Formats: sequence, C-alpha cells, structure tokens
Amino acid sequence: MTDFRQIENNLKKEAKRLLEAGEVAVVLAYGRGYDEKHPMPFAAKAIAHVESLVFNEYCNFNMARYLMRYPWGTKIAIAAKAADSRAIIQLVQEEKVRREDLVIMGIPAYGMKNQKTNEVIDSKTTGGLYNPVIYDILLGEEIHGQKIISPYEVLAEYEAMDKEERWAFWKKEFDKCIRCYACRKACPMCYCDPCFIDQNKPRWADKAPQSPGNMMYHLTRFHHLAGRCIDCGECSRACPVDIPLYLFHKKVAKECEEMFGQAAGMKLEDKPALVDFRVEDSDKILE
Amino acid sequence: MLKKISINKISELAAALMDKGLLLAPVKEISGYNFVEIKDPKQVDLDFHNTIASPKAAFFPHKEDFIKYETGKPIDTASVVALNLPPAFLFGARPCDVKSFEIMDIHFNASGIVDPFWKQRRETAVIFGYAFDLEKPAQPEEFYQTLGIGAADPEGSDVFMVKKGGDLLLNSVTPKGEKILAELKVLNEGKAADKKYYEEYIKKGKEYKTRSMCLEPGAITKKLEDLFYNTDFWTRVSSACISCGVCTFVCPTCYCFDICDDTLFAQGIRRRVWDACMFTDFTLEASGHNPRTHVYQRLRQKINHKYSYHVRKYGVISCVGCGRCTKHCPVNIDIYSLIEDAMKA
Repeated sequence: MTDFRQIENNLKKEAKRLLEAGEVAVVLAYGRGYDEKHPMPFAAKAIAHVESLVFNEYCNFNMARYLMRYPWGTKIAIAAKAADSRAIIQLVQEEKVRREDLVIMGIPAYGMKNQKTNEVIDSKTTGGLYNPVIYDILLGEEIHGQKIISPYEVLAEYEAMDKEERWAFWKKEFDKCIRCYACRKACPMCYCDPCFIDQNKPRWADKAPQSPGNMMYHLTRFHHLAGRCIDCGECSRACPVDIPLYLFHKKVAKECEEMFGQAAGMKLEDKPALVDFRVEDSDKILE
Repeated sequence: MLKKISINKISELAAALMDKGLLLAPVKEISGYNFVEIKDPKQVDLDFHNTIASPKAAFFPHKEDFIKYETGKPIDTASVVALNLPPAFLFGARPCDVKSFEIMDIHFNASGIVDPFWKQRRETAVIFGYAFDLEKPAQPEEFYQTLGIGAADPEGSDVFMVKKGGDLLLNSVTPKGEKILAELKVLNEGKAADKKYYEEYIKKGKEYKTRSMCLEPGAITKKLEDLFYNTDFWTRVSSACISCGVCTFVCPTCYCFDICDDTLFAQGIRRRVWDACMFTDFTLEASGHNPRTHVYQRLRQKINHKYSYHVRKYGVISCVGCGRCTKHCPVNIDIYSLIEDAMKA
C-alpha cells in the first residue's frame, strides 16, 4: 500500500492541478483539525487552501455526504476511499449527483482507525473493500493480496441471538440514544428534507429521548436505508454514545444482497434494489 | 471542615448518601463515563477524567413533564405534574461543570424569570465538586484555563473533593456542605497535613495547563459583531459542520428547549425537551419561513450566542471550556480554534 504521507502529497498535487486548470470549483477532501488525530472534512476552493489538505489513518469521514451541498453543474473533485466511492455510485443511481460533475480521486487504503477508540476499522465498519470501486485518478497504488474479510463476518455474534434476544439488545442500545441525530447527519444516504422524524403533521414520534420515539426513529431509519447503506460505518463512529448501528445496517444489507443479488453502490448502471422490480426477484420477504 | 475517606471505601460513602436521598455520580458505561442515578453503591467510579454528557441534566433533564391531560376533555381536568424532590447529591462534578451551573442560574433563576423546576432542583441538591487530577495532563480538547477556570476551583460546590494518593479529601465550602459532612459517619477527620495538602492543591489548580489564549470578553464580543456579515468566514469555518445536535446536547451551558405535546391515543403530556440550534427545524416558523436555512447561519448563531450576545446581555461568556463539543463532534469542529480564527480574522 502507498503510505499515507505519499497519498497526502498526491492529494495536494492533484487538487492543485485541478483547481489551477479550472477543471473543478471545489475539492472535497480532508483538512487539518485541532491536532493530528482529528482531521476534518474540508472543502478546498482556492489554490491557497491546498496546503491545508491532509491524509492519515484518521481520515475516515465519508466525503460523499457533502456532495449534495453543491448545485448540479458544480464541478467537484472528491477524495474517495472504498466506502466513499460506493456512496458516490449510490447517489448517482438515486439521481442526487451527476457523474459528469465529479472527478473522483480514489484512495486505496487499509488500516484506517477510529479516532475515539484507535481500533482499526477495516471490514468492521467498512465494506471489506480496500480499493475504490470507481475513480478517475488514483492517489496510491491499488491494493492486492491483502486479506479480504467479509463485511458480514462481524455479524456472527449478532446472528447467533434469537428474536427475543435481538429485540432486547436493540431496546437496550436505543435507550442510550440522546437523539442528537449525528447518525443521520453523518450518513451520505440520509438526505431527506425534511426527515420523517422532524415532521410534525403527522408527528411520527416523540421528540424526547425515550424508548418508543427512539425505537421509531432508528428502526425507520434502518429500513429506509435497506439496500442503500454502503457500509461506511460513519453513523456508528459519529454516535456519541456508541450505539453499534452498523450491525443492523449490515444485517439488512446482507439480506438484501442475498435476495436481490446486488450490494448497494457497486455499479453505476444498477438501480437501487428496492426501487427496481424484476420478475425473478426473491419473494423471501413474503414467506 | 475537612474530612477524608479511602477511595477503596467510596461505595460506603455512596451508600451513606443514598440513605439520605438521590445520588447522581459518575458511572462507567460502554462508551465512557456519565452521571447517572445510582442504584447500587458499587457503581460509583471516580477513576474518570470527565463524563460524556455534562451534569446539567441533574437540574435540567433532557425531558421534563409539565402537564398531563386528556384530549377532548375540559381544561380543568388537566393536572400539573408535581415536583416532589428528595434531596439529591451530585457527586464528582468537575470545577468547569460546577461553574456552568452559575451561568445557567442566570437564565433559569436570576434574570427575572424563575423556572420553578430548575430552582427546586438546585435548592435540594448538594454539589460535591471534584478537582481534576493535577498529576495527569489535560485532554487536548479542554480549554477552561482560557475562561479563567482552574482545575481545582472549589467555588460553586457545597463540598469540594481532592484526591490525595489513595484517599479522598472532602472539604466543606458552604454551610449546606458542612452540615452534610458532619452527618456522614463513614468519613474520618482530616489531619493538619491533609488540610495543608488540600490548600496547596487548590492553589496548584490555578496553574494547571489546558489550552489557553488571552480572551477578553469585551474584545471577542466586538470582534464577533464585526464579523457577523462576513459570510466567507462563517462559510469557511462551518464547511465541515453536519448540523447534528451533539455539541449542544453534551454542552453544560446550552439551555434551549422545545415545548412538545406528546399524545398517545387520548393521553397527552405537555413536556419540555432539549432542542439544538444546530437543527434545521430549530427556527422553522409556523408560516414555513426559516430564517436560518444555511449551516453557516446556525453555527454563527451558536458561537455568537455563547461569546457575543451572552456577554452583551449578562456580562459573561456562556462557555466553561470543558471541550465536550470538540471531543464529541463527528467532524472535529473545534470551538477553541474557531474563536482563535475569529480573533485573527
């Protein structure tokens, strides 16, 4: 793997070139934060901003989340690791973003770390991929030969639980929720405006952080992301109380993949599984 | 009055306090420490730096029921939820968090409008402040020194606690604190050496280093007023912000709330629930108009409220430098760097 320092240099070089040539109006990547361990999502709009770009093992934000802030036609360069590239594809499929507006700067990487716990997040909360699925420029060499771990491997413990145990597990986890909505705000696929939970006519759930409302919010969000979650794990990392949201998302993603034979955000020409109808689609859900 | 107890026997102290009322103390949860109502004295764990959420919920709960009613029934059938509070003990609050109660008092008690819920909770509570461990360095996000708060300031606490090796020294700061210390039989008398240690610790706390800059309230207020229409500045500093509510919910001095009517079938409850100025619907008006549709406007509001409007109106900055907003921000927006940036802009 190309080391992070080298990737950072390549990122700066490419960002500078693209901005200088006027090929893009903005470069979405990572910038300096208050220390090394805490970089920030950053939008470089001028050559002077390029020096602030960084890349290290803590740059795990999904930059695709920021794409929809810019109107169609804005040329955007975006730094994309494996999961981010899937988010881009999914957003293109959902017609939220146009492929021709983007210059995707792919970053092949493993060994990315959770800022809070320092644990390596490969495969646990990213899709088990190391190379971006789609890119225009590559900022490091493609990774081959690194051990591939199924993104669903972490589900073993969860799947061993029976229905009652799972219900109890989620009830306990959702009791921790403080309803700050960091999960939906960090999610590149959560772009509904307004989100159902913010509507007040009808009002779908209490605003108070208590069991029925928390349950309503999370279960609805989980299902709304069925076949759309690209497994970047940002929701779980954004959560201040560490609710393992990724477990549910992975479980649904796994079932979707089994039923419809496609994972979210893998091919530009796919349609989102739950939007597409095919005669040969699985009826398992009705059984 | 100075008392002491071995830290190993902290659960005995916890049990003694539980006999007298509610005990809120730090407990280790999966994601970190938090103040919770103690059910089992063994839960109390003082081996923490600071909690995830601030202890403001002890006086200003995330949700508070006011009125119960039945839909379709006449208004006189509705009942006000009575607040019959037992004495409460907030155990182990850090000096910066204790300072925040003083700021919150302005809004809920001292500025003319009295919130009976806040007032009652404050009056029934005994605060056991707890000095930061001066042997250990400050966390990178903290900056209470900037706001003139020491790591071992006893002001605001009723009883102030300091760690001395394997012992916990407890000193009374107010008559309320003195009364409770006299009643607690599990405590031992402090010796002259303990008294000396305690006093030196308080002094040393003033010098404890966190991130620090020279911040004169009048100067930052003026600066932020001048910057208000500088959209380029606000857009730049808010470019990463995702408009979630983490910063405001963990903040010890954020006090915005929403009044909601939650009904289930015919049973209704009118309650107060925390709200966050970072949410898009915070300023959404009944007409559908929203004066703050952009992220930069919301972040600008938050910073100005704390460092400008609050100073203009009440003379103090509404921030205690605990650094929780920075620590828990999913995109690492740092309020300290932002203020530094503003001063330079």
